[in-house]
Amino acid sequence: MAWNKPLPQIDRDMEPFWDALKRHEFVLFRCQECGAWYWPAAFCRNHPNKPLFGSLAWEKASGKGKIFAFNIHYRAFHPGFANDIPYVYALIDLDEGPMFGTRITGCDPKEVHIGLPVEVVYEDITDKYTLPYFQPSKVGAR
Amino acid sequence: MAAFRDRFAIVGIGRTKVGHLPNYSARLLQAEAARLAIEDAGLKPQDIDGAVNVKGEGGGGPSGGWTDAFPRVLGLPANVYFHVGRGGASAVLGLATAVKFLELGICKYMVIAFGSDGLTRHRQGGGQEETGRPGLWGAPLGDLAAVSHHSFFASRHMHEYGTTSRQLGAISVSERRWACGNPDAYMYGRPITIEDHQNSPYVAYPYHLLDICLVSDGGSAFVLTTAERAKDCAQRPVYTMGLGYGDVMAKLWWDKANYTQLAVAPAKATAFKEAGIELKDVDVAQLYDCFTSEVLFQLEDYGWCPKGEGGHFVEAWNIAPGGTIPVNTGGGLIASHHHGDFTGFLEAVTQLRGEGGARQVKDAEIAMVTGHGGEVIRPGMCSHHACLLLRRG
Repeated sequence: MAWNKPLPQIDRDMEPFWDALKRHEFVLFRCQECGAWYWPAAFCRNHPNKPLFGSLAWEKASGKGKIFAFNIHYRAFHPGFANDIPYVYALIDLDEGPMFGTRITGCDPKEVHIGLPVEVVYEDITDKYTLPYFQPSKVGAR
Repeated sequence: MAAFRDRFAIVGIGRTKVGHLPNYSARLLQAEAARLAIEDAGLKPQDIDGAVNVKGEGGGGPSGGWTDAFPRVLGLPANVYFHVGRGGASAVLGLATAVKFLELGICKYMVIAFGSDGLTRHRQGGGQEETGRPGLWGAPLGDLAAVSHHSFFASRHMHEYGTTSRQLGAISVSERRWACGNPDAYMYGRPITIEDHQNSPYVAYPYHLLDICLVSDGGSAFVLTTAERAKDCAQRPVYTMGLGYGDVMAKLWWDKANYTQLAVAPAKATAFKEAGIELKDVDVAQLYDCFTSEVLFQLEDYGWCPKGEGGHFVEAWNIAPGGTIPVNTGGGLIASHHHGDFTGFLEAVTQLRGEGGARQVKDAEIAMVTGHGGEVIRPGMCSHHACLLLRRG
């Protein structure tokens, strides 16, 4: 079915993140000097930076984390979500440290709880865009 | 802080009808509120030499319009006119910016005004949807409305402290009780119970419909001048005491506390130091209440109760009429109307002037107004918090 929801509005600083999703890779912004991870893109807060993000680069990350907070939408605020409710939108505490907000798929909303281990799953929505949903981690995968 | 205490005064307030007003533009509602505020102060439009257009979205958006200006509608001879705003901490920001023009002597009387056609736009479709601007993260993923990310706070507080939905319901019921003493409130004459809150549909679990603020058309405004000039105005002045700001940007995702607190600490410290008072001196508190949890967090963060105890505090009806700290005495955003922090601001002035009618808090001398909001700082943090302290003249 053709994608009938809003499309990503991609800011130039975040293009490499979205390009990686198209390759089914989950990347985070990482300081090349001290190893700290960031999402969304930011200057490293631990020390002085080279100009214009020169101290940081996008690197492949685990794509795993735990649910930190969540809600269950019972109302579709956009007609494209009418057949999706109830759906879960969550804040994920990524294993690398940063927090990430996305939809939780692949389970009954009633099974979702804070602390649930989750991992990224890719949804190719058009030729140009791939979304990073998360789903409960498979047993033994962690 | 340069002297703020007792230096400036709110001398007039104005508010249009609220609710669904489909026949008026936001700009006209804003101009009408400004007209009422100027009249309330005993001034003429010709006395106003500065005007501030307060908008929830500082850089644009539909409120009031960028192609025209409300002082033009009203015929104000404003030498100074500009826009400010950041989410729900905008009346306080309007005051903070206007102060400088008064202090420098560039302006004598300034009107700070807000207008909204949000409910009309919402009913026409559109309204609260977040779509379309570069940098916005979650729309394709279902993060479509304020409730999509604000409900994380409730979820997290419940997890960490055992707060229950019924306890959040006590906030909604308390505000509704206050609204039932305010004939201008949208929910006047419509009391609710905890059971009504529990039975209201989920919008985004853990939030029921009755955890969520209203969307309102209408206009709100006030006139600000110096303390010296205030003596010659028609109304009993309400003086500025203290002003403070905080923002989550000081502590982002690495400080996970920001999911169960607001950026109250620096705002409180600055405002109370300038005012020279303590929390117990506050007679009436207008706490920004876009959702029930924001009220809960502020009760804890300001120190009316310990962190994590907010649920018990509100279920003992401490914030309701007859409680220990009157909160959102006009009904707030949840039960009266949503004009950002103008809702609480104008209610604070009303209480300090002793004009609260059935809801008047006896001998209210000092009022607190808070504002909250702005950009969602990804991921999921609501950015800034403003605290304004006022006293009756």
